Amino acid sequence: MSEAYFPVGPGLGPEENFLSLDDILMSQEKLPGRAESTLPRLAFALGQGAGAGSGDSIPEGSKLEIPLWLAKGLHDSKRRIISMELPKIYKEAWRTVFSADANVVDLHKMGPYYYGFGSQLLNFDNPENPEIAQTILQTFISRFRRIMDSSQNAYNEDTSALVARLDELERALFRAGQKGLNDFQCWEKGQASQITASSLVQNYGKRKFTDMDG
Amino acid sequence: MEPAEAEFLAEKELVTIVPNFSLDRIHLIGGDLGPFNPGLPVEVPVWLAINLKQRQKCRLIPPEWMDVEKLEEIRDQERKEDTFTPMPSPYYMELTKLLLNYASDNIPKADEIRTLVKDTWDTRIAKLRLSADSFVKQQEAHAKLDNLTLMEINTIGTFLTQALDHMYKLRTNLQPGESAQSQDF
Repeated sequence: MSEAYFPVGPGLGPEENFLSLDDILMSQEKLPGRAESTLPRLAFALGQGAGAGSGDSIPEGSKLEIPLWLAKGLHDSKRRIISMELPKIYKEAWRTVFSADANVVDLHKMGPYYYGFGSQLLNFDNPENPEIAQTILQTFISRFRRIMDSSQNAYNEDTSALVARLDELERALFRAGQKGLNDFQCWEKGQASQITASSLVQNYGKRKFTDMDG
Repeated sequence: MEPAEAEFLAEKELVTIVPNFSLDRIHLIGGDLGPFNPGLPVEVPVWLAINLKQRQKCRLIPPEWMDVEKLEEIRDQERKEDTFTPMPSPYYMELTKLLLNYASDNIPKADEIRTLVKDTWDTRIAKLRLSADSFVKQQEAHAKLDNLTLMEINTIGTFLTQALDHMYKLRTNLQPGESAQSQDF
């Protein structure tokens, strides 16, 4: 209610939210793939430049790292252009780690958009899709308790250690929990009825009343 | 909803005061407030009571539940039960804060009362978190929680609804996307 600006949240699930900054950053993450057919004159954009020979076209079958937005665009059900593999964090080995105990994994290091990216991967036809979707859901559920406890109990402390291992979606949740806690504490101390300057006005930098006089 | 808004709603509750001035019946939009005679107790909404107290025109009488033994009983019952016990007032937290801040001289053992109410609050919040956690773990469709007050719901509300939204979206991923086809022209 007192926010001046409501950012558009990420669209979880097969479709991204066009206006969401989180989704835009998320779709920049790269995933591994292979070129199924020769891609003429694209070596400068996509290739690693090393084995491209004359540096002109990407030969068939060479490995590429493509950002998600490009992969989604080039992906075709007839699969002529490129074929995508799963990044290692969504593969079998890591899935068993998540099902064993999801709380120990540092999701920020593993790609800060684990949930969003995983949901997007379900767009590519892949026989492992149901397991991937199930793993993502179970990971979220098991980490929920820890996020709730840490966000609702850490008042006026340095929270960087707590959020270090959370991915972006969980961080947004953590911030929402913290805000609830802070609002309550602030009300209880009686600060809720004190008038404070709005964050927008402070950002304008024009409120230098005392500095100008001095 | 913010805590300040919940406090505003709580100020409609009635509380007994003993005025030291006299005034005839006043007719307000929300209803009539009875004639004020010095020394005779009268029931008024909390917003008026706080205002009169600040102007030193009355003495507040604490509500009957704001008493050490009663609150101890409530606190112990809260600790024993797994479900939420009905609270004496749906705005117990706000009323405690308001009355103890502005009229602590009229309320005996104010500090003890504050501690007891805080203990009860902490127990209830812990129960709420536990039930939210089991709700998420078992992926239930809906839950029913009796006897929760507005302030408690506010503290955890935003977080819980956002988390459940995310969980719902991740759950719809499990269905293969028949409805996610874009239109071909």
